[in-house]
Amino acid sequence: MSDSVTRIEVSSLKVRYGDAVAVNGVSFTVGRGEHVTLLGPSGCGKTTTLRTIAGLETPSDGSIRIDGQAMYDAAEGKNVPTEQRGVSMVFQSYAVWPHMTVFDNVAYGLRVRKLSKADIAANVERALDLVQMRHLAERGASKLSGGQQQRVALARAIAFSPTVVLFDEPLSNLDAKLRAEMRVELRELQRRLDITSVYVTHDQEEALAISDRVIVMNVGVIEQIGTPEQIYNKPRSRFVADFVGSANLIKGRLTGPDRFEAEGGVVLRAIAPHTPRGDETEVAVRTAYIDLQPRPGDNHVPGIVRQRMFHGDFVQYIIDCACGKLIVRRPPTNLLDEGAAVRVSFSPEHCVLLEG
Amino acid sequence: MTFISTGVLRPRFNWQALVTLAVLLVVGFLVLLPLTFLVGESFNTGDALAFPPEEYGIGNYLAIFEEDLHVLTNTVAIAVMATAMAIVIGFTLAWILTRTNVKGRATLERLMELPYYMTPLVGALAWGVLTSPKSGFFNQLYQLLGGKGDLFNIYSMFGIAWIMALFEGTVAFVMIAASMKSMDPALEESARVMGAGKLRTALTVTLPLVMPGVLGATLFVFAEMLGSFAAALVIGIPGRIYVITTAIWDSTLSYPPAYGRAAAMGLALFLVMFGMLSFYRWVVRRGSYATITGKAFRPRPMDMGGLSWLLFGVCALYVFLAVVLPIAALLFTSLQRFATVILSQAQFTFANYQAAFSLGPVRTAMVNSLSLGFGVASVGVIVMALIVWIIYRSQLIGRGYVEYLVMFPQAVPRMVFGLALLWAWLNMPIPIYGTLWLLALAYFTVMLPLGVRTLAGVVLQIDKSLEECARVCGAGWGYQMRTITLPLLKPGILAAWLLIFMACVRELGVSVFLMGPNAKVIAPSIVAAWQSSGTELTAAMALIQTFTVIVALVILYRLTRGMTKELT
Repeated sequence: MSDSVTRIEVSSLKVRYGDAVAVNGVSFTVGRGEHVTLLGPSGCGKTTTLRTIAGLETPSDGSIRIDGQAMYDAAEGKNVPTEQRGVSMVFQSYAVWPHMTVFDNVAYGLRVRKLSKADIAANVERALDLVQMRHLAERGASKLSGGQQQRVALARAIAFSPTVVLFDEPLSNLDAKLRAEMRVELRELQRRLDITSVYVTHDQEEALAISDRVIVMNVGVIEQIGTPEQIYNKPRSRFVADFVGSANLIKGRLTGPDRFEAEGGVVLRAIAPHTPRGDETEVAVRTAYIDLQPRPGDNHVPGIVRQRMFHGDFVQYIIDCACGKLIVRRPPTNLLDEGAAVRVSFSPEHCVLLEG
Repeated sequence: MTFISTGVLRPRFNWQALVTLAVLLVVGFLVLLPLTFLVGESFNTGDALAFPPEEYGIGNYLAIFEEDLHVLTNTVAIAVMATAMAIVIGFTLAWILTRTNVKGRATLERLMELPYYMTPLVGALAWGVLTSPKSGFFNQLYQLLGGKGDLFNIYSMFGIAWIMALFEGTVAFVMIAASMKSMDPALEESARVMGAGKLRTALTVTLPLVMPGVLGATLFVFAEMLGSFAAALVIGIPGRIYVITTAIWDSTLSYPPAYGRAAAMGLALFLVMFGMLSFYRWVVRRGSYATITGKAFRPRPMDMGGLSWLLFGVCALYVFLAVVLPIAALLFTSLQRFATVILSQAQFTFANYQAAFSLGPVRTAMVNSLSLGFGVASVGVIVMALIVWIIYRSQLIGRGYVEYLVMFPQAVPRMVFGLALLWAWLNMPIPIYGTLWLLALAYFTVMLPLGVRTLAGVVLQIDKSLEECARVCGAGWGYQMRTITLPLLKPGILAAWLLIFMACVRELGVSVFLMGPNAKVIAPSIVAAWQSSGTELTAAMALIQTFTVIVALVILYRLTRGMTKELT
């Protein structure tokens, strides 16, 4: 992760479709070799933002620069066509051309650039090696499985050595198991090739797992930008706390710099990632950060196990306490029975004051 | 890890806008210009051959009502009869083939398309051979068995309507079947669950739900029948029964040609048909179709028990009357020196086919039609593929207008368009009137809706990101079209090619006006042969044309079967 050199710079980007505003003033930068993910629910403008970087959509305002060069600039009236931006992209539907072989698919960008036959062959082979598809080079693309098509799409996107690769929900059409495997491979590939990438997904788990930084978007604007840990541990808004991971939202009011009085009267110690304004009404506590035994120095609330649900990798309890209903996720060891009296505790660090 | 990369991207010229502009201009010129000429001529009350007109007035329109009122009543009477028969046939067949468990449904459904490909021209000839007074096969048999006079007379209003219904009525079947197929079977099933019997369900649920579809089909078919030309030309003119289309044709044959009158009648016909089709669209679009979704259901067919053989017989009878009998009659005729069903008098010979292949004008007409088919289909599909791409894929402003423009010829009755082209190109400073070039241009123009619709179906199936990906890889528009779009469109392009080829070989409405002494084509030549030479030679020519179309059709079926596999 090196933000020393800015590779992509998006400023005050706006995209309109008729009267509807899909992207409403989005600004961010992506550093050289950095892997940034745009995360958000469908319709939040993440894919539109990505497509404007590729030049597949025309913004209505703002600017997009790659390596300092304006690709789009509303003020200058500049809009470089897609094919001259030098970016690469992996599409959600893979977009593997069914009338070509795997080799021809991967060679496409190299042929456009008029490389010599030997160079094309060498680059294609290297790209196919990276995705372990070399043995299928001569196979017709319409005879590939979903996972194989995904690999071909990936090889094609990196074969012509682009400096920027855009990913539009590339794993969303794969089944859960394959998706987890491809995530690992993608992360590995990224590190080896030193490419700068912008990735779009609605899967928060995927975003946290493979990104250097995550940009959470909602209704056309950015909610928060941060490392996966920052996004998870210090959500700024109710939307981020709710959309990324699972969190309990406790209503109440601020009574001191780090004192939060919940609606039930319990006073909690909280932290604020931002400077508190005083009118904040909610704190978020991640379900994974709540203990059901007392620990020193923590917020403590007595409660009763209302419901237990066994999920395998974890057990989810619903606890009735003075702060209301709390959802708690614990490892599937030392199961507690429904009706048991517990003492809910969580560190003040994990009790995050949300912006109003 | 690095790659060898020496290639660079150079800025490219924006071909897209230029090509789009060129296509718009050419299509606009081909589609709209003839009609403007026609409108001008329809108000010409001076010398009909003068261009531009020396006097203007609405005399031509008034004359329709003053002098040709019987033509209008004939037209309406024949269209009403033909529509009624077509709807009855269409409804019965659609119901049998979509709602009952009759044997061989899939095959029968395919066979229903054949009358359409046989064309009303061939159908009219065949039924002329079968039921013309005295010499018709049925009447010969009747007299042989001791009957007096004629059993049938095809040269009547009913005769014309019968042929129209048989050969142009298939559209009624297609439309009604579609509305029956798109009805959610759960609507009927819930009536059954509530305790209603088969008949009660049919009367209270099925029929009311299908009625809008039937009404829509009625409107559509009626409009088509008003503009129908082939049967009225082959049967109506010898029988001295004129309808509006044949009256238009007739006025261009008089000396001096009454182009003004023809133009006024043509435009009046166009306006009436256009009005009816707009009304049809409005009816279809109204909310009463809420249950008819775009989704196709396979309704659970009703078990008809022993009755299903009877229903099969009904379908088979239609195929017999509209396909088997006409082809057999033509075949039988074409192989005789003098057409007769009385076998003891028959003299079988191949002379008619020899004549068809060796007789100068006939042979040139066939060669011309085939070359026009090849040429127009080959050049046409490429241009149409471009147009389709512009309409459905480009971001260009005004692509909606391109679509409207391209689909416009569909709204104009074919022979009115032929008349418009005739008048426009007689007066155009480009001297291609009476040559194959004008026929080629005219064919291309009237085939635009067919080709564009066929290709659009394929284009819309192709994922947009396949093209976007090429751009992201660095390909310019031209390179992307050449390497991605056109290859992916290939199966659709082949299908469109065959459809256009078939349509060109069968073309009558436009050809009849634009054919010159040195540029003859097959369909009008068949009509001419019917009116001047013997039935036997005409039958041979008609069969050769039909055979060509059927070969293309078989290839098309093979191809589309493979195509659906390839694209999914």
